[in-house]
Amino acid sequence: MKHSVNRPPTPDEDDASEGFEKDEVTLREIINVKLVESGEKENLMELVRDRLVECGWKDEMRIACREHVKKKGRKDVTVDELIRVITPKGRASVPDSVKAELLNRIQNFIVSAAL
Amino acid sequence: MSGPDGNKSSHTELSSQVFFDLVDSVIADVASECHRVARLGLDRDLEVVEEELRFSVEARAKVADPSNNLETNTKFVVDIFGQTHPPVASEVFNCMNCGRQIVAGRFAPHLEKCMGKGRKARAKATRSTTAAAQNRNSRRSPNPRYSAYPNSVSENQLASGSPGVACEDCTVRENVKGG
Repeated sequence: MKHSVNRPPTPDEDDASEGFEKDEVTLREIINVKLVESGEKENLMELVRDRLVECGWKDEMRIACREHVKKKGRKDVTVDELIRVITPKGRASVPDSVKAELLNRIQNFIVSAAL
Repeated sequence: MSGPDGNKSSHTELSSQVFFDLVDSVIADVASECHRVARLGLDRDLEVVEEELRFSVEARAKVADPSNNLETNTKFVVDIFGQTHPPVASEVFNCMNCGRQIVAGRFAPHLEKCMGKGRKARAKATRSTTAAAQNRNSRRSPNPRYSAYPNSVSENQLASGSPGVACEDCTVRENVKGG
């Protein structure tokens, strides 16, 4: 048997910081893949949606969209524009309880996925 | 990587990112939905002001217009769905009794005369041509239609019954004989 077969893969010769970032991105991707594969992503999405509807967050976002549409005129509005307008407000106005619940669940998943 | 603390912080960071990814998805859904509603004009509240303005302008124009004939709708009133009140039954179809074309609104009186259920319409006719007319009718269809005149009907049935039976027998025998 040739030694080359058992040789470990050659490590990349990257810069330290670049390597770190790359690892982070790949780690995030790995988590994502695991979430999707296990079906947990679906569960989390449903949970998030339910919670955000319950607490009225979705309605607030819809009102904000309508305000923007009224300002801009019905026919000129694009989806990207609406997303751009409501994302900062949306991210900031998620109730703490909802955030805590979700973060908890995600962390448990990460731990159980042994990463 | 450092000990459990380091792991925890990176986990928190990671969880946060995952969480905000989820929130972004929901935001995108909401934005898409609102965009659709806005572009299709499904949101009545937005349109209300525009429409009401338009209607008021139209109404004003109508009132101000002198050539408009205001006496057109004396017989019936038209409601917001375009239906007339009282409703006009204008459909034409064939009477299942006599086969004639009848206007739906005139069907009941027609049936009275056609089937002879009414008092006045039928009474005059039968009294004048009693025997002949009833004989003809009952022979064609033995159903006792004229329940108001039990005597004559039963008589006619008896009268026409036997000859009818006899005739049938004759034809049957004839057919058999003929082979």
